[in-house]
Amino acid sequence: MSLEKLKPYFPWLTLGVLLLLVGAVNPSFLNPASLLQLVADIVPLFIMAVGMTFAIYIGGIDLSVQQVANLVTVIATVYLAQFGVFVTVICIAVGFAIGAVSGWVTTRQFVPSFVATLAMGFIALSGARFLSGERALSMNAEARDASFGWMFGNTGGVPHELIIAALLLALAWFLQTRTTFGRALKSVGAGELAAVASGLNVHRIKILAFALSGAFAAIAGLMFSVKLSGGDANLANGFLILAIVAVLVGGTPLTGGVGGVINTLVGTLIVVVIRSAMVYLEIDATMQQMIFGLILILAIATTIDRSKMRIVK
Amino acid sequence: MTILETSGGKRGRAAIGREVLVKWAPLLVLLVLCGIFALMEPRFLSTRNFARILIAASPALMVAIGVTFVIIMGSIDLSMEGTVSVCAVAFALCFLWFGGTLASWAWLALPITLLVGAALGFINGLIHVKLKIPSFMASLAMGFVGTGLAMVTTGGDRIRIEDELFRSLLTERILNFPLMVYVAGIFLLIAWFIQTRTTLGRNFYAVGGGEDLAVASGLNVNRVRVMGFALAGMFFSVGALLAVGRIGIAETATGNNFMFLSITAVVVGGTALWGGIGGVWNTLVGVLIVFVIGNGMVVIGLPGYVQDGVLGILVILAVILSTDRKSISFVK
Repeated sequence: MSLEKLKPYFPWLTLGVLLLLVGAVNPSFLNPASLLQLVADIVPLFIMAVGMTFAIYIGGIDLSVQQVANLVTVIATVYLAQFGVFVTVICIAVGFAIGAVSGWVTTRQFVPSFVATLAMGFIALSGARFLSGERALSMNAEARDASFGWMFGNTGGVPHELIIAALLLALAWFLQTRTTFGRALKSVGAGELAAVASGLNVHRIKILAFALSGAFAAIAGLMFSVKLSGGDANLANGFLILAIVAVLVGGTPLTGGVGGVINTLVGTLIVVVIRSAMVYLEIDATMQQMIFGLILILAIATTIDRSKMRIVK
Repeated sequence: MTILETSGGKRGRAAIGREVLVKWAPLLVLLVLCGIFALMEPRFLSTRNFARILIAASPALMVAIGVTFVIIMGSIDLSMEGTVSVCAVAFALCFLWFGGTLASWAWLALPITLLVGAALGFINGLIHVKLKIPSFMASLAMGFVGTGLAMVTTGGDRIRIEDELFRSLLTERILNFPLMVYVAGIFLLIAWFIQTRTTLGRNFYAVGGGEDLAVASGLNVNRVRVMGFALAGMFFSVGALLAVGRIGIAETATGNNFMFLSITAVVVGGTALWGGIGGVWNTLVGVLIVFVIGNGMVVIGLPGYVQDGVLGILVILAVILSTDRKSISFVK
């Protein structure tokens, strides 16, 4: 097999090599039960990264996801008692709406997505701080168990959180590869002018991509909120950079049109393996950030497929 | 985050009028903002308040100017938080090691810090160019490395700089404005000189305006890129020095918040993320807009939880107003 054919599998190879390396040093890392738990723990991050993939796939970026998730943790906590499980609908609608506004500002008002989504994030943060009264709120335990208690069970040893993640991934994958919308996304990412010239309604596609990103971020925030049984305007802080890194490491470059949600799955796993491996290998806490950065450079350098990028900016 | 331009300015006189308007739009936005805040609270216009705005804005201005050069090339540099932290810590350690006062050999810490910043930027550029990693990712990862390096060096501790001579950056005032504002002004002029009067400065625009053309004209684009990142790193280190001068503490957290702040400021000032347009004066206006909004909201007494949202809305409005919508076909 030639190198060219292998390229799409580079992220998988990177993940495999990483796993083997860590396993060689500390075999207990490869214990299936602990690996499963490890993966279950990062489901919110993964869902957020899957949403972000849509924004990056069209060549933009969504920096509002963390604040959308923050806002949603507050909304979920405040309205859970009133609406029960239907609070999910409100949360997703809010995320979708914020994403759609970001998309509208970007496409119709020509504000670069970097700034538009960052600013929309500030607005979401304002909402979260207002609604929470600048306090950390906690959920009514009974209402939580009644509405979302099923999330913590498992079927045949597989945690339900993982099943939710798998379903969402399947949905995103279906959207990306089996619908005209997915094809349109790819064409917008690969060459926007050509997409316009072929008669695609590029504005609607881009707005929808950002809206999807917001909706996925909302789901991530809701799961996070249920997991921690509370809401706070800063609860999801620290997710944004990790979500971006997960998408990029997976091989969806910022130039758009390349990669996809499956790549993001690998990317998230790579990020998580690196992070938790450092704990397993007992690396000093002060060193972890630096080593994470160095491995990241290595991972990206080996992972990304440069054949479709003409100029590296 | 690239953009394609259609040929703008084909409509003769109307186009010229629009160009002038777009060029001055960020400044107009700044003046209108100042006017609104002044109307709502006259104390906004006091010299003391302006000094407060400028003191807060000086470190951020240096960082934003650094990233301006990179953005003009059409790349992006997200390593500022790490670089500022490393430079602040490196400065503090050198400064104390050499004697702890500017009156002794400790002044050597200043040029050393600039070199550290430039070296970090240089490495950043090399990783981007040699490993062919898009600058967004390369610099983001380098930012992690920088923050981590600062963390390892300090072990999470704060280092206090209590030398009165160095702190005179903040305490010594000329015409009611502290020295650090003038230092920032001098470096702004240096940046302007580099941008307009040196080959390197013009090459930044050549690379950002059209890399294919730049390559075809025989420009060593990779070299220009690496130099751009090194220059950016140097300006980040100046920002670090001013940040340490302002609070008298060097720590890992010194670099916090610079990333989004500086890039927002650059874009608000009218420098395009796709490269080739804008410059250091735009960045000055952009930084001032962001800090005037922040200060103004406090002065007129908006509740804390509204401020983030208002900042978001105003930033979007500022960018919309200073974008030449007729000359671009789409934006990512």
